[in-house]
Amino acid sequence: MISDNAKAVMRKDLSEFRRQKLVIGSIIAMPLILGILIPLSMFAPIAMEAPEGPTWDVENLFTQGRLDPSWDVPETASTLESVETADVALQNTRVVNATIERAVLTECDVRDSTLKNVTIDSCLLENVNLYNCVVTNSRGAGLDGETIMSVDSELVFEHERESELEKLIPMFLNTTLILFIILPVTLPTIIASYSIVGEKNNKSLEPILASPTTDGELLLGKVLSAFVPSMASTLGAVAVGGAIINIFLSQLGEPLLPNLTWVLGILLLAPLACIMSILACVIVSSRVTDVRAAQQVGGFIVMPVIVLMFGVLAGVILLTPLAMLAISGAFAAANGGLYYFAKAIFNREDILVRWA
Amino acid sequence: MIKCNALTRRYDDITAISDLNLTIEDREVFGLLGPNGAGKTTTMRMLACLIAPTSGDATIGGHSILDLRGQQEIRRITGLLPEAPGLYDTLSAHANLDFYGKLYGMPQALRERSIKEVLEKFDLWDRRDDAVGTFSKGMRQKVAIARAILHDPTYLFLDEPTAGLDPKASKTVRDYIVSLREEGKTIVINTHNLAEAERICDRVALINGRTIQVGPPGNLARGLFARTLTVTLAEEDPSLAEGLESFPYIASIETSGTRLRLTVKDPEQNNPSLVKWLVEKGARVQFVEEEEYSLEDVYLRLMEEGGRR
Ligand SMILES: Nc1ncnc2c1ncn2[C@@H]1O[C@H](COP(=O)(O)OP(=O)(O)OP(=O)(O)O)[C@@H](O)[C@H]1O
Ligand SMILES: [Mg+2]
Repeated sequence: MISDNAKAVMRKDLSEFRRQKLVIGSIIAMPLILGILIPLSMFAPIAMEAPEGPTWDVENLFTQGRLDPSWDVPETASTLESVETADVALQNTRVVNATIERAVLTECDVRDSTLKNVTIDSCLLENVNLYNCVVTNSRGAGLDGETIMSVDSELVFEHERESELEKLIPMFLNTTLILFIILPVTLPTIIASYSIVGEKNNKSLEPILASPTTDGELLLGKVLSAFVPSMASTLGAVAVGGAIINIFLSQLGEPLLPNLTWVLGILLLAPLACIMSILACVIVSSRVTDVRAAQQVGGFIVMPVIVLMFGVLAGVILLTPLAMLAISGAFAAANGGLYYFAKAIFNREDILVRWA
Repeated sequence: MIKCNALTRRYDDITAISDLNLTIEDREVFGLLGPNGAGKTTTMRMLACLIAPTSGDATIGGHSILDLRGQQEIRRITGLLPEAPGLYDTLSAHANLDFYGKLYGMPQALRERSIKEVLEKFDLWDRRDDAVGTFSKGMRQKVAIARAILHDPTYLFLDEPTAGLDPKASKTVRDYIVSLREEGKTIVINTHNLAEAERICDRVALINGRTIQVGPPGNLARGLFARTLTVTLAEEDPSLAEGLESFPYIASIETSGTRLRLTVKDPEQNNPSLVKWLVEKGARVQFVEEEEYSLEDVYLRLMEEGGRR
């Protein structure tokens, strides 16, 4: 499908890139930065916040006698069972099946109860619902509730509570995805500018155009020589970054990558964005004589993706699979228009007479 | 055969070359000779199907440069050495040539063979794996010429092949061009090096935005300059010049010391009687020479005469 001449142009470009520090440097360094630093900076804080370790089983700890000596099982002098009470202070009391509001509980053994606005110190809690409670020097298991402040306590909850950061995981995943898509947009501005403006300044397009290579083959070769390393670099970054993210996700007990959004993002949107960037670079390169200028103008090509990223960060754009398809569709349409222009610019006559 | 038919090219409001009519025979080394901006490169680019003529046509080996399929065929059977060598500095000589071999659809084995052949011819085979960026200007030019002939084209367009080369390298290139003609190639050379054109071109076209004169380099002077005779005498004699003024076939007389410069019409016919008369008048004739006009004289005269558009 791809003609030999287009392939020859691509191969020639690739072997030139190998000797170009800027090009080879960005192809290697950018995925390393994005692939390792971004996942680490986004997900490491969440992982550190998250509770870890095995569930703490009260019964077992009793039987195995592993309780901290300073945390003796409270000696209970009295029992409060199946009552609703408020505004009390209880000490060394066994509380079973009770509902207590606005209370101070010290060294109590509380089971199967509900506590609201209660200050709890040095207690043992099992199967207790806590609302607006302050818990100090206590241990508990099978807990549930809301707005709990705990100090020097070990509390295990029935339902895993999501930390504030954990709630951000989907957004972090989306943002990381967009950051990865910046890669196939940025790299071509470096590569294609070099390969086209460089060739133009070097006046090496003329002998190519004197050969039986068609304009279309030359354009295709130039597109491929930017596309192949950009996408390889992107996929490398995604593989490394995805693996790192998956380590965190598995710790958090979240579903691992790839999900459908990521598959569409990397295999559909990223290539389209890459081609968009390359075509824009082809057009820009024909109008400038300096590689740096081409790269700078090319930098503007990243704008649509940056806009997309801010949309995601602001929560305006939700990256559902459907949204990915829609965005990809828009990019594909833009590519159609850009291709039309690039093709019009990329003809022998203009390259030799007007580009220079 | 290459035929240009009223070939004309304009760039916006500049006419680079207009109404060029030429026939270049097979196995001919043909020079396009003209000053900077004469339209040599423009003409060559049209013939190599790189840019389109504004009007007129040309055929190469029977294929028209206006016809799309013809263009593709022309590109296959022609080789071009552009004004700038346009090599890839970071790539080796071998890699540069290999790339072009692929563009001309040469299979690997043939590519290797041809690359070896051309690089050996230019004494560059030992340097084949060095980056072209480390080569001297002359070496680069040789690689560029090697690139133009790699695919064994029938027609060769060489835009100033010896520009910037030292005398030895220029000679290598010139000898090579002559050997290519012997191999049966048709070669068009752009140059403003007159000595070079005189040495290797079978015919030249003097152009300067339009055709001024076409012919073998030695013949261009004829018809352009009246033929001049220089007579050197043993001693000065002003009376001789006065006497010569009455001769109908002598157009002008210049004297400087013992020398007489005479412009003579039809010298083959008239010189014997002229010399006889001088001897009879007691002149002691030492030398009688015809003044030779070099291509340079022709060139300068033609350009002076308002050759420009
Ligand atoms: N791309 C271009 N755009 C506009 N004008 C051009 C272009 N290329 C050439 N010209 C003009 O066409 C005329 C002929 O140029 P050309 O390069 O063919 O001359 P040349 O004979 O090759 O000169 P030189 O000996 O300097 O190489 C010049 O006046 C030049 O300014
Ligand atoms: Mg020129």
